[in-house]
Amino acid sequence: MFDYEFMQRAFWAGALIGIIAPVLGVYLMLRRQALMADTLSHVSLAGVALGSFIGVSPTLSGFAIAVIGGVIVEQLRRTYRTYSEVPVAIVMTSGLALAVVLMSMNTSLSKSFSSYLFGSIVAVNQTQLWMIGGVALAGLVYFIIFRRPLYNLTFDEETAQIASGHVKWLSLSLSVLTGMTVAAAMPIVGVLLVSSLMVLPASLALRIAKGFLSAITIAVAVGLTGIFSGLTASYYANTPPGGTIALILLVFLLVGIAVQRVYIKVLKRKVFSKRETITKEQGIS
Amino acid sequence: MILSSMRNVMFGYGETPVLQNVSLDIHSEEFVGITGPNGAAKSTLLKLMLGLIKPWSGSVSINQEALKGRKLTIGYVPQQVSAFNSGFPSKVSELVKSGCYPGLGLFRRFTKEHEALVEQSLRQVGMWDYRDRKIGELSGGQKQRVCIARALAGKPNVLVLDEPTAGMDAGSRQGFYQLMRHYVSEHGITVIMVTHGLEESGEFLDRVISLEQRESEEWQCLTTSSCSVRFGPEL
Repeated sequence: MFDYEFMQRAFWAGALIGIIAPVLGVYLMLRRQALMADTLSHVSLAGVALGSFIGVSPTLSGFAIAVIGGVIVEQLRRTYRTYSEVPVAIVMTSGLALAVVLMSMNTSLSKSFSSYLFGSIVAVNQTQLWMIGGVALAGLVYFIIFRRPLYNLTFDEETAQIASGHVKWLSLSLSVLTGMTVAAAMPIVGVLLVSSLMVLPASLALRIAKGFLSAITIAVAVGLTGIFSGLTASYYANTPPGGTIALILLVFLLVGIAVQRVYIKVLKRKVFSKRETITKEQGIS
Repeated sequence: MILSSMRNVMFGYGETPVLQNVSLDIHSEEFVGITGPNGAAKSTLLKLMLGLIKPWSGSVSINQEALKGRKLTIGYVPQQVSAFNSGFPSKVSELVKSGCYPGLGLFRRFTKEHEALVEQSLRQVGMWDYRDRKIGELSGGQKQRVCIARALAGKPNVLVLDEPTAGMDAGSRQGFYQLMRHYVSEHGITVIMVTHGLEESGEFLDRVISLEQRESEEWQCLTTSSCSVRFGPEL
C-alpha cells in the first residue's frame, strides 16, 4: 500500500488533519457550533465551483471562500445572538445554492466535483499536502498559544469578554481556522463528510473525558485511528475514503457509548452490593 | 470614592426602552445590592455597567483614580450559571483555575501561589472536597458556588454577581453574604450583587438600589441610603 506515492500523501494528509480537526471539533461542539464545519464545507464547494468558473485554482478559491464563510458566520452569529443555529443555516444554504448554480454553468467539471463531494485518496496532490501541513501547523500553534483564553471563551463567552475583552477577535479567529481546516480536509473526506472528522471524535471524547485536556487527547487519538483505519479499508475495499472514515468513526462512537453504559452499570452494581454488605454487617452486629 | 458612573443612560430591547434616564454611581469598596421585581431590568443594568451592552444614549464610565493604580479586574458570575454547559469536560479545580488565566495572560506560568489561591477560593465557598468532581455532576447550587470560586480566583477588585445565591440552601446563602462582606471590609473590593433576598442579605449590604415600577410603566430606582441614584425624568 505504501509503495504508492498517493497513499503516502493520503496518510500524511490524514495524520495532519487527524490532529487538528478533532481538536477544533471539541471547541466547536462546546460552543454549540457542531454544524459549523458542515456549513463551511458547503461554502467551500461554492469556492471550488467559482475557481473553476473563473479559471483560478479550485483548491485555493475553495480555501479562500471557506475562510470568508467563517467570517460571515461569525458576524451573523452576533446579529442572531439568541438563535445560534440561524447563521449556520443561512450560510449553509447560501453556499450550496451558489455552488449548484456555478456548477451548472460549468458542466465539464462534474467529474472532478464528485471527488470534492465524496473525497478521493488520489485527490491529494503535493500542493494540497503542503496546504494541509500549513493549516495543521498554524492550528497547533494557535491552540497552544491561545489555550487559556480559548478555554474561557468556550466555557462562557460573557465572562470571558469581561475578564479579557478580546473575545470578538478570538471567536473570529476560531471561525477562520475552521474554514481553513475544512478546506484543507476536503480532498480526503469530501465536502459531505468533512464535519465527521470534527464532530464524531469530539462526541466520543466529550462523553468519556473527565478533564479538558483529556477530552482533546481522546478526540485526537480517536480521529487518527479512524482516519488511518478508514484510509486502509478504503484502499483495499475500493470504497470512497470519506464515507469509510466516517463509518469507522461512527462505529467507534457507538462502541464507546455502549462500553461506557456497561461500565456505569457495573459500577452501580458494585456500589449497591457494597452497601448491601455493610447493611447486613450492621444488622448482624 | 466613585468607581463607576452612569449618566442619563437609556437602553431597551427592540423598540421598547426598559431603562430611561438612569444616573447612578457605584462607590469603591462598597457592597451594593440591586433589587426589584422580575422584568425590572436588573441584569440589563449590570450588563450596561460591565460594557457587555452599549446604551442607546448616555454614558457609562470607570474612574481610574478609584483603582489606586491597580488594573481593573472584574469577576463576573452571570445569572443561571448552572444552566449552561453542563457537559463541559472539566473538573471543578480545573474550572476554578481558569479564573486565574486573564491575570496570567498567554505565557506566564501557573505557580504554587495560584494553586493556593484556587484552594482558598474553593474552601471559602465550601467546594474543596468536590475539586476532583466533573462540573456536570454537580447540582445547580454547587455549580453556582464553583463559579463564584472561579471569580474569586481571579483576584478581582470588582465583583459583579447576578443572583449568585440562586439554588443555594439557607446556610450557604448566609455564609456567602458573610464571605462577600469579608472581601469588601478586609480586602477592599467592590461587590455589586443583584438579589431578591433582601431580608437575608440586607444586614450585610452598604447600600441597596431598588428598582420599582411607576404607574406610567417606567422603572424608577430608589435607594435605602445616601441616594446617588436617580431614575426617571423628574426624580
